[in-house]
Amino acid sequence: MNKFTLAAVAAVMAGTGSAQATNIEFWYGNTGQVETAIKAQCDAFNASQSEHKVNCVGQGSYEVSMQKAIAAYRAKNHPVLIQFFDAGTLDLMLSDAVEPVQDLMPDVKWDQYIAGARAYYETSKGKLFAQPYNSSTLLFYTNKTELEKAGITETPTTWEGVIEAARKLKAAGHACPFVTDGDTWRVLEQFSARHGLPIATKHNGYDGLDAEYLINTTFAAKHLANLVEWRKEGLVRLAADTKAGNYTAAFNAGECAMMEQSSGSYAAAAKAFDGKYELTVSMAPMYEGYERHNTFVGGASIYVMKGHDKAEIEAAKAFLDFLRKPEQQMFFTANTGYVPVTTDVLDVIAKSDEANSPKYATAKVGVESMNQPATADTRGVRLGFYVQFREVFMEETQKAFAGQQTMQVALDNTKKRGDQLLRRFEQTYKGKQLP
Amino acid sequence: MSSESSLFSHRWLPALLLAPMILLILLFFYVPVFQAFYWSFFLEQPFGGGSEFVGFENFQRVLGDPEFWAATGRTVVFMLTASSLAVVVPLMLAIAADRKIGMSYPARNILVWPKGIAGASIGVVFAFIFNPFVGLMAPLNALFPGLWNPGIDGTDAFTTLVAAHVWSGIPFNFVILLAGLRSIPPTMYQAAAMDGAGPWRRIFDVQLPLIMPQLFLTFVLEFTESITSVFALIDTITGGGPGGSTSLLVYKIYVDGFRGFDLSGASTQTAILMVFVLLLAACQFYFLGRRINYER
Repeated sequence: MNKFTLAAVAAVMAGTGSAQATNIEFWYGNTGQVETAIKAQCDAFNASQSEHKVNCVGQGSYEVSMQKAIAAYRAKNHPVLIQFFDAGTLDLMLSDAVEPVQDLMPDVKWDQYIAGARAYYETSKGKLFAQPYNSSTLLFYTNKTELEKAGITETPTTWEGVIEAARKLKAAGHACPFVTDGDTWRVLEQFSARHGLPIATKHNGYDGLDAEYLINTTFAAKHLANLVEWRKEGLVRLAADTKAGNYTAAFNAGECAMMEQSSGSYAAAAKAFDGKYELTVSMAPMYEGYERHNTFVGGASIYVMKGHDKAEIEAAKAFLDFLRKPEQQMFFTANTGYVPVTTDVLDVIAKSDEANSPKYATAKVGVESMNQPATADTRGVRLGFYVQFREVFMEETQKAFAGQQTMQVALDNTKKRGDQLLRRFEQTYKGKQLP
Repeated sequence: MSSESSLFSHRWLPALLLAPMILLILLFFYVPVFQAFYWSFFLEQPFGGGSEFVGFENFQRVLGDPEFWAATGRTVVFMLTASSLAVVVPLMLAIAADRKIGMSYPARNILVWPKGIAGASIGVVFAFIFNPFVGLMAPLNALFPGLWNPGIDGTDAFTTLVAAHVWSGIPFNFVILLAGLRSIPPTMYQAAAMDGAGPWRRIFDVQLPLIMPQLFLTFVLEFTESITSVFALIDTITGGGPGGSTSLLVYKIYVDGFRGFDLSGASTQTAILMVFVLLLAACQFYFLGRRINYER
């Protein structure tokens, strides 16, 4: 940490010097190991200089943080910096409550951000709205020890391979070969992206607020129907089918042998497996015959909120500059499993003697996954009331998993209800243009 | 002037003493209520960037939405099952505790304890008790795999919710009903027993008619309470799932408004729910309240 602190001091001292420290607030939503890392970064920033002081406030979850930000903004009592997650991107873009980071800091080399991370948070004219912070993407985790016990020596890379492995595991008496929580981000968004499938028309909403959902007609519908069949066969388990009751916990405890999960879970899985099992992480599986495209960037980014004076904005800029530093990004990656998304940091990692260290395992494979060939449909999701859509998707597909309706009916309903949300969003923001 | 007002010599003193309470109610009840009704006629942007007056369009949309009616249906089913059980179970306990049977004294004390537990804590405990792998049903699940799983089966989740609600409703209703039973003069039973009425006959013909005011009170409170207070239980036990099977109206409003940032939709549903609860209470007073004889 000391080395980082010194570097930070040097960087900040090069700027202007003033007597009075400006206090600003930064709201974040993470908990656990990630929160510890965020707090360490805040402390390091405050220790590195005396001009600015950032007060980092944990809100417990992204949603709670956002609820409070909305109330605070209406009461003109809002923080300068707020972290928010991928699904709320459009809500914030149209809110008129945030200042695009690229407008505030035009001199930063924003093109250092890898395309996969930029595309999610930039305007149609290529202007970055938020600074990517804890970036993640979907990865495929396996318990190598358990797989080998069942005679599987190679990590599967295709869904066909995953299911073959699952059958072998089941035959070997394994109760939970593959586990998922059926979460929208994992089973729909990241699946569609890497298979090059659209989620909605207008390139997932990037070309206008009048988009419509396509999820019930693409190959994703077939995959989701497969998941239902595989669950009946005992190859796929849902979170509620596991003893742990939570799919990540079930995997980490060794109850389940394979899962699809965010790179942000890596640190916890590695810690839980230590000395007991061998862990592998690789790119999420593809269906045979489909060309691999990029996965979306997940996690969250940091927005600068409007309505603050110059000194506060300067402090916010200094903190954002600090977080972009390679040392800080590497520290964050090593302690959480989130992925660094700027090329300079990736270069530093590649050249260091720790390039193959497990603490940077997710950086390599995560960036590789986000750097696969992109199409206009794999830039991201820019759809209104999208957080609510995720709830609708979960509700309808859970009914399909419970056998109350077929997956096709579930997805048809999801599309219908999703389109209603989009139309209402369009009406709520009538007259506003997508930036 | 009557004797009551002579208690306070100063005219404004009562008003002054009431002021803090009225202010609190105004600030935390009437202002939000007004806001909700106001927003229900607008399409409101979450960050206040602008809002558009849409008249009754929000109501039209909500009332035409099958999801709203499904949530309302679940709310009514919950209200009828959970609140009836939440009165009937304490009633049986109160009748038992009122009789001079063994352990009835400690029971009168112990049964009040759950009152001190917050809804969210009850939720956490019940989620554990009804866990399919480690909870009460685990032995049954071991015999018949997949028989009980509130994480997959909506009916199981709903049952868990009802059980938790009934349990949390025991203390208050128990105290009220027991107090009612204790106030019945023992001579009544003795007279009934002399006339040859057995214990069951005495319950139905003497005790129940005489505690009607208490029964009415607990029913009215339970019916309205069950609609709103179930929130903490849903949030901690099921999160509205699986498949929306426990998404009662009060929880749907929270999800739409606070997780989905749909302020107008949530406000509209709040307005409808509020009218519904008021109508419900009014009906109870009108149809049931008039038949109750408070005189003994």
